Amino acid sequence: MTLPLQDPLLSAEGQGQPSSPRRGFLRTVLRERKAAVVGLAIIAFFVVLSIVAPYIAPHSVTEPSCAVYAPPSASHWLGCDDGGIDMLSLLMVGGRISMIVGFAATLVAMIIGGGVGILSGYFGGWTDISLMRVTDYLLVIPDLVLMIVIADLWGASLFHVIIVIGILEWTSTARIIRAQVMSVRERAYVKRARGMGSGNFRIVWRHILPQVGPLLIANTVLTIAIAIYLETALAFLGLEDPTAVTWGTILEHAFERTAISSGAWWAIVPAGFAIAAVIVGCFLFGQAVEDALNPRLKVAHLSLRPWRLRPLVGRGPDAL
Amino acid sequence: MRGADYVIKRGFFALVTVFVAITINFFLFRVLPGTAVTDLSRVPHASPQLKHALTVEFGLDKPKWEQYLIYLKNLLHGNMGISFAYQQPVSHLLIQDLKNTLPMVTVGTVAAIAVGVVTGVLSAWRRGSVPDHVSTNAAIFAYAFPTQWLGLMLLIIFAGTLPAGGMSNPFLFGAEPFWQHLADVGQHMILPAATLMLTAYGSYTLVVRSSMLETLGEDYVLTARAKGLPPRRVVRRHAFRNALLPVVTLVALDLGYIVGGALLIEVIFSWPGIGLAMYDAIGQRDYPMLQGGFLILTVAVIVLNFAADLLYFRLDPRIRE
Amino acid sequence: MSLLEVSGLHVWFEPPHAAEVHAVQGVSFALDPGERFGLVGESGCGKTTTILALMGLLPPNASVAGEVLINGQNILAGGEDSVQAYRWKDVAMVFQGAMNALNPVKKVGWQIAEPMAFHDIAQGAAARKRAGELLELVGIPAAAGERYPHEFSGGMRQRAAIAMALACEPKILLADEPTTALDVMVQAQILELLTGLSRNLGLALVLVTHDLPVVAQVCERAAVMYAGEIVEAGPTEMLYHAPRHPYTRLLFAATPDLYGQDAVISIPGTPPRLDSELPGCPFRARCDVPLERCAGEHPELRLVGPGHQAACHRNELVEAS
Repeated sequence: MTLPLQDPLLSAEGQGQPSSPRRGFLRTVLRERKAAVVGLAIIAFFVVLSIVAPYIAPHSVTEPSCAVYAPPSASHWLGCDDGGIDMLSLLMVGGRISMIVGFAATLVAMIIGGGVGILSGYFGGWTDISLMRVTDYLLVIPDLVLMIVIADLWGASLFHVIIVIGILEWTSTARIIRAQVMSVRERAYVKRARGMGSGNFRIVWRHILPQVGPLLIANTVLTIAIAIYLETALAFLGLEDPTAVTWGTILEHAFERTAISSGAWWAIVPAGFAIAAVIVGCFLFGQAVEDALNPRLKVAHLSLRPWRLRPLVGRGPDAL
Repeated sequence: MRGADYVIKRGFFALVTVFVAITINFFLFRVLPGTAVTDLSRVPHASPQLKHALTVEFGLDKPKWEQYLIYLKNLLHGNMGISFAYQQPVSHLLIQDLKNTLPMVTVGTVAAIAVGVVTGVLSAWRRGSVPDHVSTNAAIFAYAFPTQWLGLMLLIIFAGTLPAGGMSNPFLFGAEPFWQHLADVGQHMILPAATLMLTAYGSYTLVVRSSMLETLGEDYVLTARAKGLPPRRVVRRHAFRNALLPVVTLVALDLGYIVGGALLIEVIFSWPGIGLAMYDAIGQRDYPMLQGGFLILTVAVIVLNFAADLLYFRLDPRIRE
Repeated sequence: MSLLEVSGLHVWFEPPHAAEVHAVQGVSFALDPGERFGLVGESGCGKTTTILALMGLLPPNASVAGEVLINGQNILAGGEDSVQAYRWKDVAMVFQGAMNALNPVKKVGWQIAEPMAFHDIAQGAAARKRAGELLELVGIPAAAGERYPHEFSGGMRQRAAIAMALACEPKILLADEPTTALDVMVQAQILELLTGLSRNLGLALVLVTHDLPVVAQVCERAAVMYAGEIVEAGPTEMLYHAPRHPYTRLLFAATPDLYGQDAVISIPGTPPRLDSELPGCPFRARCDVPLERCAGEHPELRLVGPGHQAACHRNELVEAS
């Protein structure tokens, strides 16, 4: 699954290669693009929330504190679920686990993708061809379906979900790293370093990885969004530990335990907004960074508002 | 024929991917340790004769590599084993399910593409304006809300007015005229298809918009403008076709997302399709159905990808070289 | 009354997050039927923007002042909407790098015929026949119209672009760097073609280039632009052999000799930024013979010979002496 424009090949097509970013690039992006700030703020908010959730959750998430499907009230702002547990607390704690799962799965994806990208880009030749073929196959095979199969065979647990997502979402990272490695590999200073006897690992670590920073950050953030989305899907299908509290299981429980026919919209609506908020935040930030790296150099030749005429002021052509 | 090698190359790739999927399937269900429980012959309440027949049919007592070849042969004949839960051939059940899934997914996807293209083009045309911002942000949000949540929301909103589940009214008997059945199914299809449209259109909007902006910056658009053609005509005759090319690629790549979304939607709306079948298979530990479902869905996506490659080939004369 | 008269043309651009750029600063020149006029200068001097402005082909962040008169009519008077009516019929353009100026997914013949159909000059089969004739005129077999641009070589594409520009029998042809990115043999052919067309069809030609030998070969008159202004204009012979502006002199001296015998003199320094108004002569920083007054007083274009103007304070010294 790819977020729109996340595939670097699609977005780089016709827009030129990503430029090598300078220091302070991210600061520039934040300064110039509002979307990036908004996105980052949302992500930061949820990260902080995840950290402090256990301390600021108003009620317990294991012990009931109100009636079954109690509607929102002064003491329970978002009502309660079918077990009488406060929804707001569930959302906070669930958010924490969802974020952890998202980050962890992304970490797995980054490691695999990074490894594949480095091997592919650095060694080229058959290594590159075969690894890229593998990514091509994985891209075509529908990921959620394969994840379902693996998760079901392996067993329902958060750890399994993390791994399962990680092993199928690394392809975009691999492509990015591979492209960067390939472009840097040929540069003079790498050749010099190699000539001086630097081992391959050192070359990669010192010369190649720093170049790829901002693009990798954008890709990481976008992958986190996908991971969170997939977690909710897997949880919804019952492939996650049902006792775990995540946004995914909140929705799953609401569905399984007839929240709709009970009219308990509060068991459903807020969770969706929370998930959407994080994903939108990731998307805004990641997309803004990617756009800044691949600037659209061409101006549209057509648009609604055309060029304007200015009245000639003063005498003669040079009077203006 | 020019470009025949492109078609052959893509066809070969599709074939190999099918093999990869089959192999993954085989590996997961037969090779991994602990797969004794997924053994195809362990149909519950099966007679010893059935168990024996299955063992022979799939070579379950032979070494793994032989099993693989037998598996391939069986697949070629459409034999995917017997469902644990329904005691019937998996392929029969899944083909029927697939027949239910296809119309709903097709309607939803076509609607999503249509909405995405229209909003994307309009957004690009009015770049920077308020309608552009609204449309773009709406697309992002629609894409960000989990598919199952969108389905649940539609259920909440429309539960009274539109059918809340199933594919048809169980009380409509077979004697009813065909068009009435069609209308009934159609009515039941509205919410699931609408959910699929909502969850999928966002990415199309964004890509169409981006691609259109890119195309509007191309030199040949300036040429068309220089010819004195009015803007609408330039967009229609020159920009549109070129802008859509990357969209074809993206829709193809995104099919995995559509399939996943359809799965969730079928679960929510109890739509008797292949997605719901896989979901039930999970709950019922019906491993032959799970295997079969994975294979059919994957092959479907691969075939559609190949079809998209062919479409791209038809649209872009540069590929034909 | 001249065929084409440009009077006091100014163009400003408003880039995002940056100050306004004054790209063209009061350009004026005139053209008679059949005349070949060159516009030369370094990259970024505003020559391309100037001729784009002649057809109103500017982006939305541009603003324009001044007049562009074709047979006495100011075609820019009503903005984008009004200038549309003159495009391709009265004035047409051949763009830089025809590689991308042709739509890759449409056949070449179709692209040539399109404006004919739109401007009611010929329709259907008649238009296709005319397109074929135009291709023959520029030295391409008529049957090539059934091919796509990517099947043409660079030189052929440029010719096709010229054929396309002639589709509606314009009286003025603007050519922006028509020979850049072509190899030398092809360059010569294209220039011969343009010269021939101008002579045989009575076509007025404005040739924009940074390549001086091109101007020398094709154009009877030329103007030299620097930092958005015309600094010298007159018969090409005079510019070559008796330049009256230091920039012109240095520019022509910097041209590498075809036989590589003379040393290449390049002009040190870079052109000034166009986003702030600077007092004095724009060339002062790179001039090799500046006067004191050049720092504070902007030199105006004045007549220094028959049909020969230059904007340099030194000419007054010559007059005085």
